[in-house]
Amino acid sequence: MNTLQSTRVAAIEAIDSLMEKDPRIAMVFADSVKVFRAAELVKKYPDRCFDVGIAEQNAVTVAAGMASSGLKPIVATYAGFLTMRACEQIRTFVAYPRLPVIFLGANGGIAGGEREGVTHQFIEDLGIARTLPSMSVVSPADAYETHQAVLNAAKQDGPVYIRIGSGRDPVFFEQPYSFEWGKAHIVLEQNPEDVVIFATGGFLLHRCWQAIERLNTEGFRVSLLNIHTLKPLDADTVGKFLKRAGAAVTVEDHTVIGGLGSAIAEAASEQFPVPLIRLGLQDTFAESGEAEALLDAYGMGVPDICDAVKKVLQRKG
Amino acid sequence: MKECQIKKEIIGALESHARQIRKDVVTMIHQSGDGHPSPALSIADIIAALYFHVLNIDPQNPEKPDRDRVVLSKGHACTALYSALARRGFFPLSELPKFRSLHSILQGHPYQRKTPGLDATTGSLGHGVSLGLGMVLAGRVQGYSYFTYVIIGDGEQEEGLIWEAAMAAVKYRAGRLIVLADCNGLQSGGKIEEVGGIVPIQPKWEAFGWHCQTIDGHNMEAILSALLQAQQVEETPSIILARTIKGKGVPFMENNNEWHKKVPTKEELELALSALGG
Repeated sequence: MNTLQSTRVAAIEAIDSLMEKDPRIAMVFADSVKVFRAAELVKKYPDRCFDVGIAEQNAVTVAAGMASSGLKPIVATYAGFLTMRACEQIRTFVAYPRLPVIFLGANGGIAGGEREGVTHQFIEDLGIARTLPSMSVVSPADAYETHQAVLNAAKQDGPVYIRIGSGRDPVFFEQPYSFEWGKAHIVLEQNPEDVVIFATGGFLLHRCWQAIERLNTEGFRVSLLNIHTLKPLDADTVGKFLKRAGAAVTVEDHTVIGGLGSAIAEAASEQFPVPLIRLGLQDTFAESGEAEALLDAYGMGVPDICDAVKKVLQRKG
Repeated sequence: MKECQIKKEIIGALESHARQIRKDVVTMIHQSGDGHPSPALSIADIIAALYFHVLNIDPQNPEKPDRDRVVLSKGHACTALYSALARRGFFPLSELPKFRSLHSILQGHPYQRKTPGLDATTGSLGHGVSLGLGMVLAGRVQGYSYFTYVIIGDGEQEEGLIWEAAMAAVKYRAGRLIVLADCNGLQSGGKIEEVGGIVPIQPKWEAFGWHCQTIDGHNMEAILSALLQAQQVEETPSIILARTIKGKGVPFMENNNEWHKKVPTKEELELALSALGG
């Protein structure tokens, strides 16, 4: 059993430290204070925390107005209600004028869905956010990386979408590492490797790590890259590993259309085309269930990762 | 008596500015070959009142943080706004004919990153009240007491987001938020009464807790007096429902919805300019 630490709490702690230093940072909630465990933050900064109720389009557009008038707002609510219900507001009123608004989307992925089922499991958010010009897209792997992502997002000039989880998120980084915005994080480099795995988001680095341990005992050499920043993608590092490995697997708790798998496929086809297998939701919705069980049931289990590595290796030629 | 005379002079000057805005609207649309004339003509008096009398703005310092803000939520009427910004000196008049052309600072709908003096990106209907509320709250956080004026259409109020913003503005006691509704009775697809079911409008705003006034949106004195009254309301957002005529000032465009989006020919432009006093 992995240690759990809430990505939601980590995000709010980072925001607290930002608000302490920068009077321009404001929060906009859509009846999501409780979701984000942010009651203490609201109490501490009552004049800079706003809750517009269950009205995500309004939350985003109010934030756009704030950012047009000197503030740096952060909108925090569920990932899908942001990127789908308020998609146009994010696109036209924040991304188009390149305003410095940070979006925090909770319940990213089927593992982040709190057993609520499809309505609250968001598997399209990264793809939607990635298509918007000027939008940066970050998908942190755990609480530590979420904290780093929020601190770094506040340094950007334009809008940022950060996907976070359910609040019951396994810790992967027990020790801090040097998080670099827009850079792929090399978790494991086995030079030269047979296959490179690219992963993003919560729960999955553990699974990839276990798969690689298994594969190593069978004689396969596999490198693991954590792509926390999907956009801008670190095309140099991705290209370097694709070229050297000659085969790749992507693992994401997201539909394989539009997210990490697509981003890597795009980078590969432009730089160094290699055989690629994309693990994630295969153009399907999921269902209610416990996080780890859902990932196993929908093709993101340790055996699925091992199989994908072996299959893609066969296609390497 | 003296005050009354001054007021008359001010009103006369503002009416003259409104006529000039109307001339610019039809001329720009003729020159660029695209645009929405009649929705811009109906707000010309409101725009003239704001830009030539009411607003605390400085063309030499368009970004000054304590300036009053304007959000043209019905962004398709932007030719009226562009005319006022140019004639207030935010950019040269020579930019006006480039409206909707490649590399122009005057986009087809308002875009805040390209046009000096423009506070908000708009064009997709229903967003202005939320944007304006955000601006008011940002002013409050930063200790400024500026007003934010939002111009919406009547048909636009069929968008649900308007009412999300209406709720939140009352919750946050946004007295510095003043909405002007251009109630010209027509929307793209026809009469307001027939298309979307928004009528009656005023009881809805009253029920949401807004301070409401209904005026003749082409009577300059009524516009100024309503704005003054709205400014005095401290803890409640205000809406001024301005009864207007779509296409006002150009007889063949008035209440003729063909002119929602249509380009006047050279002959039609001459007729329009002549109706507007040459």
